[in-house]
Amino acid sequence: MGDLGLIAQAFVNGIFFGTTYGIAAIGLSLIFGTMRIVFIAQGAVIVLFAYLCYWLFTLLGIDPYLSLIPITLFSLLLGAAFYYGLFKEAAALKDRIGSLLIAVGVMFFLENFMTVVWSPNPRGVVTSYAFYAFSLFGTNLTLTRLIGLLLAVLATFGVFIFLRRTLIGTAVRATSEDVEASTLMGISPNRVNAVAFAIGIGLAGIAGVNLATTYSFDPVYGFTFALMALIALALGGLGNVIGALLGGIILGLLQSLGSYLIGTMWADAICFGLFLLVLTFRPQGLFGRPT
Amino acid sequence: MANQLLEVKGLDVFYGDAQALWDVSIHVEEEAIVALVGANGAGKTTLLKTISGLILPRRGEILLSGESLTDLSPQEIVDRGIIHVPEGRRLFSDLTVLENLKLGAYVPRARPFFAESLERVFSLFPLLKNRKDQKAGSLSGGEQQMLAIGRAMMAQPKLLMLDEPSLGLGPILVKTIFELISTLHKQKTTILLVEQNVNQALKIAQQAYVLKTGKILMSGRGEELLVNEEIRKTYIGERGIKR
Repeated sequence: MGDLGLIAQAFVNGIFFGTTYGIAAIGLSLIFGTMRIVFIAQGAVIVLFAYLCYWLFTLLGIDPYLSLIPITLFSLLLGAAFYYGLFKEAAALKDRIGSLLIAVGVMFFLENFMTVVWSPNPRGVVTSYAFYAFSLFGTNLTLTRLIGLLLAVLATFGVFIFLRRTLIGTAVRATSEDVEASTLMGISPNRVNAVAFAIGIGLAGIAGVNLATTYSFDPVYGFTFALMALIALALGGLGNVIGALLGGIILGLLQSLGSYLIGTMWADAICFGLFLLVLTFRPQGLFGRPT
Repeated sequence: MANQLLEVKGLDVFYGDAQALWDVSIHVEEEAIVALVGANGAGKTTLLKTISGLILPRRGEILLSGESLTDLSPQEIVDRGIIHVPEGRRLFSDLTVLENLKLGAYVPRARPFFAESLERVFSLFPLLKNRKDQKAGSLSGGEQQMLAIGRAMMAQPKLLMLDEPSLGLGPILVKTIFELISTLHKQKTTILLVEQNVNQALKIAQQAYVLKTGKILMSGRGEELLVNEEIRKTYIGERGIKR
């Protein structure tokens, strides 16, 4: 066993990374729920937004948290554009392989595009306050991680409220359950799908800023991130917004504590092992009801 | 003669290469109950889905109050006032009763009337009011059918299409559903009714069509068909043998 302070530190880090996995997983959940598309490019898109945040900071001197506004707006628009430009036809097909191939294509395109534009070297956004930290019960909590955590939790509750309290949000949930029945209510699947895609990519925008401000990233970092988001999604259960956030936090804790206590290599193996176990024994997720 | 609300003219519908409807024409007068009967696979549901715009016909025309619906999307057709309650009810079971009703009034034409529609549905089905915050999936079969019809009423339908509303319900509930259809009829809702329960359907319908393997076999007034020898033998007498 290690030092208690370091374990507490790993715990805090795990919760931070977990919430960011969580919001990526909510995006995947919305896109899969409405369109049955596994948007494997989610991680690459998050890294793209991290680079945008990096550019806005290094070229224009815009603070990363201020750049959250243009990046979120841009990511919402990009999400709708992804749907209308790339996935609209494929989403209407019964066969899901087409949409998966498009998502894989988007991922490879973005990875190579980012390599050309920003080089394969790792980047990070280092602000004047990047190393500012609080001491809390013997652990160091950096300001950027604390803000990141708050952003992820706020975004989760924002999406939760949107899905519960607005008519279009209710329509998104209805369409996830039964597309034909929602069509018979006069709900346009295209409208709902575009909204779901926009929010999914909008969350990737927030995750991108979180990534940029707390971590160094490179063009291919996103794939692992997307896999982690998929695991978080499986843990939380499909269509369960709060569950996805909790799934992300469990995964983050497992990875962080696992790395510290057993070793980095083992941590990933444990995460993927858990993924298989959950899919085998609780396919509805830890927080879902059996169907 | 009363005004024609819905006119379906010469529909040919295909699933891939297989033809499901052959030159089907029906008329629905305003404020009437029109029944569509026939065996399983006769094309009754296909006809409703084509009217709703879920399936595109290869030939033929559908008119609502004289206006063609041919190039309209399912959403636009709902907005014109044709509301389809599909077989098996198809409620959003994870959503609450009230959320289901809200989505019933989703189309722009129905939204301004939300409050009065809701009041009307709750007065028709007081039970739904008590359960409005309960998940639709937790309701019993009969309650679910009432919610499905209530949800359709939220859209202020000009034409209400009911696909097998009594299917899977016990005798008492079947009676309740048919009474409800009569009530809606008295309140001047036009109804196109698909039913397995041919006897009951013909009793309340002013006009009826018998479909057989995708073609209109016969049509006439409900009570005419009810005493028709062939209909009695094929569709009503059969009920004792069929489970």
